[in-house]
Amino acid sequence: MIPAFVEYVRASSVDEALEALGREDAKFLAGGQSLLPAMKLRIARPSLVVDIGGLGLGGVAERDGELVMGALATWDELERADVLRRPAYQALAECAAGIGDLQVRNRGTIGGGLAHADPASDMPAVTLALGAQLRLRSPDGERTIDAAELALGPFTTSLGERELITEVAVPVPPPGSGSAYVAVEHPASGFALAGAAALVHADGTTRVALTGVSAAPFLLDGDADDAIERAEIFGDRFAPVDYRRQLAHTVVRRAVERAAKRAEEDATWKA
Amino acid sequence: MESVIGVPRPRLDAPEKVTGQTRYGADGHVHGLLHARLVLSTEAHAVIQHVDGSGALEVAGVVAVLAAADLPTATTGTDRTAEPLARQEVIFAGQPVAMVIAESEAVAQDAAELVLVDYEPLDAVVDVEVAMAPGASLARRVEEAEAGGDLESIHAGTDHGSADDEHEQLSGNVLDRVHRTSGDAEAALSSSDAVVSGTFRTPWVYQAYIEPQVATAWLEPDGTLVVSTATQGSFVSRSELARAYGLPLDRIRVIAEPLGGAFGGKFALVEPLAAGATLALRRPVRLVMTRREDFAATNPASAQVTMLEIGARKDGTLTAIRGRMIVDRGSNAGWGVEGITSLLVGGPYRWEAHDIRGYGVQTNRFTFGAYRGPGAPTAAFAVESLLDELAGELGLDPLELRLKNAVVDGDVGISGNPFPVMGAVDVIERTREHPLWKERGSLPEDEGVGVAVGYWPGGNEPAAAVCRVDADGTMTIVTSAVDMTGVDTGFSTIAAAAFGLPPDKVRVVLADTATGPYAGASGGSKVTYTVGKAVQRAAEAAREKLLAAASEELEIAPGDLEVVDGVVRAVGAPDRSITVEEISRKALRFGGRYEPIEGHGGSAQTSLAPSVAAHIAHVRVDRDTGEVELLGYVIAQDVGRALNPALVEGQMRGGAVQAIGWALFEELVHDEDGQLLSGSFLDYAIPTADRVPPIETLIVEVPAPDGPFGAKGIGEAPVIAGPAAIANAVFAATGVRLRELPMTPPRVWAAIQASLDA
Repeated sequence: MIPAFVEYVRASSVDEALEALGREDAKFLAGGQSLLPAMKLRIARPSLVVDIGGLGLGGVAERDGELVMGALATWDELERADVLRRPAYQALAECAAGIGDLQVRNRGTIGGGLAHADPASDMPAVTLALGAQLRLRSPDGERTIDAAELALGPFTTSLGERELITEVAVPVPPPGSGSAYVAVEHPASGFALAGAAALVHADGTTRVALTGVSAAPFLLDGDADDAIERAEIFGDRFAPVDYRRQLAHTVVRRAVERAAKRAEEDATWKA
Repeated sequence: MESVIGVPRPRLDAPEKVTGQTRYGADGHVHGLLHARLVLSTEAHAVIQHVDGSGALEVAGVVAVLAAADLPTATTGTDRTAEPLARQEVIFAGQPVAMVIAESEAVAQDAAELVLVDYEPLDAVVDVEVAMAPGASLARRVEEAEAGGDLESIHAGTDHGSADDEHEQLSGNVLDRVHRTSGDAEAALSSSDAVVSGTFRTPWVYQAYIEPQVATAWLEPDGTLVVSTATQGSFVSRSELARAYGLPLDRIRVIAEPLGGAFGGKFALVEPLAAGATLALRRPVRLVMTRREDFAATNPASAQVTMLEIGARKDGTLTAIRGRMIVDRGSNAGWGVEGITSLLVGGPYRWEAHDIRGYGVQTNRFTFGAYRGPGAPTAAFAVESLLDELAGELGLDPLELRLKNAVVDGDVGISGNPFPVMGAVDVIERTREHPLWKERGSLPEDEGVGVAVGYWPGGNEPAAAVCRVDADGTMTIVTSAVDMTGVDTGFSTIAAAAFGLPPDKVRVVLADTATGPYAGASGGSKVTYTVGKAVQRAAEAAREKLLAAASEELEIAPGDLEVVDGVVRAVGAPDRSITVEEISRKALRFGGRYEPIEGHGGSAQTSLAPSVAAHIAHVRVDRDTGEVELLGYVIAQDVGRALNPALVEGQMRGGAVQAIGWALFEELVHDEDGQLLSGSFLDYAIPTADRVPPIETLIVEVPAPDGPFGAKGIGEAPVIAGPAAIANAVFAATGVRLRELPMTPPRVWAAIQASLDA
């Protein structure tokens, strides 16, 4: 399990990182929890890894009506952030807490996870349900996209070749909101066979997103059960299509129920 | 002195293991070491046209690219020892085809990717039932070699049944047939009040030891081939190397390194590769398998299909058992578990008649190898599921049904031989008293409790041990038995008790094949029973030397002396005493008067000491997802005598955990072309700590007449009945019977759906 020859550079600024990524087959290295195993298996063979770990892009805080998570905030940071104890944000903390094991959560980052775009990754569903915006930097400057615009398919995103996620921002939900993430995992990989994130508001309006069941995570449009029946669900050796569809119904129902309960708690929540 | 027997004590090797200090096979420094990387077959079945290593040889640091013809093999067989690298025909995807030898592992891996192998693909034989049918494609075209070795004897203290004298038409893939029959099973079944039957399927299962396979070979100045290796048996590895390369035994020295888990999977699989490279290049070579190689290229437990039918009378008396057991050996032409599984399928029960056929069938899937209780969990899954069903049909308590038919001393089993002393009745009686079982009727919805019983016959092999007392009064026990399961700690307890020393004064040393007394491989649940007996006798022999010297010192007849806690004293007059240390010091010096306090002991056990274990599983089934959660688990086992209850409980828990793996998680899957689909821990699930409930252990002690202090071999019994117990619990929770392992969430969900549709 030895990677192929690769060069390494540790960037000291975002501009330097973007510059370094100009090399052909260069890759950003954030927490390395997806890239390094792929390199050890020689599935990924970048010519250069640009370590962005020193860019100070961590942190989780509310500011200006948004919850802002630095792209390099680790899963462990999200799991333990005080601000995410609010029932409206619980989907973020509980999703982070269920990723990998402690070693993975200590290194893996939200930005890295989103950019990797594994179709069975958990957090993309949460970012969709919470209506997250992604702040991006490239040599052309800054832009913001909706989380729903990121994933185009398995391991494929709308990010430019030299574009870096710097922040994940979620609009602060109104009081009386609750969120939840529920997944059924593959017993070996721990990746979601089906994962659902739900955000429920005081007025009963609900946003639900699914991951693990199709080429990319998606928001459920209209009646959730109808949307699942309409969706193109993937099947594989372990979990055939009919089983995965059943799981999708189940995790959505459970996520919405849990989020609704949290919405009640949120109405009287004091940080 | 028996006061040290039955006292829980930590393993001798626990501190070094838990602090990461243990030096395993891949850790030692060897001057001038080269590193090997394998090139594995990408085809499940093909003829090798050409191996082109020229690209690899251009990589700086590459020393050689070796193919089969480059190894100085001395036999023409086609087993893994005789053919470490495929010669002509590859017979499974993952079979080693070539080896790149380089100055570093990284270079070897870079270069291995550049080795080009031309294959002419042949039909892959993947489905074992299809493989059996007359006219099926053959999984191996090249003429079979003779059976490949004597590994079978390690595992089963049993004989095959009578040779099949009938004329069932089967393909050439069927390498072995076993037919065990007694009485008229047909008549017994047709006159039974209840008959149940089913087809049970179990997959290939990986041993999943933490430490991948590793071996390091070098040549001594006198030309001796030395192989340092993670093996379960140094003498087995030596004889396999001798066979592979035609070397006399005295030109090979095998050093067994501390094992990072083995479970039956480490028997001379990689030694011929490392040794072959060393013999070809005359340089030290190490092969450490990567996890992916270890998944693809080693020797997991075979898949099995069992069609079984059993009957009983109204009162619960079992009548007959009839079945066909098809064992997928993969590429293993040498041995399979059809012999033992067709024996163990009878369980620890009396049958009036039996008619069991076993088939060993070759396919293009792995090379079958041993895994904790080979052939036993698969057999128990079938018969113990059916016993549960039969109890339901008859309206009987499942444990009472088993108890009514449990064998007692002298009952004749399917083997045709009387069972030796067996604790089946005691174990079942203990199990039925447990609250988890007694209170199973008052569970919430979707929860259930299941029970099952299994046994392992035990095994035997002559063994010897050496005992030596030093000038400081401490003792060293020397054996060649690889410590796989804490047996060294057991030896220290046995020696301490037999001699009269505190156990912390006894250390145990593992010798190599050049220096040690003989011991077979650690496997078959035979080490404590056989080597332990030799240790006991070695300590007793040393004690005689001690008493002879003490008798002179104290002027008391040896028969009037006892040894307690390192002190020799007169029976009834403890103030007339001398310490072991004093006597040893008098012996071990210039001009000393006494023979060194040493002893040699041997054993050649002929009796077997089977161990019976019962499992109680408590599950909750999520009907929406098919997930089975274990809420509670109890295992009761007859261990003969628990020399060290802490270690015995560890074995019981470890067996139960691996049983949970069989039941719920583990499955090596191939596609229709024979490509491995679950060859990594991302795809192959094993029970992790968060999925295993607390496991309660109930130690039952029915002493083995010939075991050291009554101890039996206990390593294999605790894995056997677990899958059936969990399947029976799933039935209790849902009313659905799962007859295929593992009971994954999709399978459980689909079975529940099917029952709703029906």
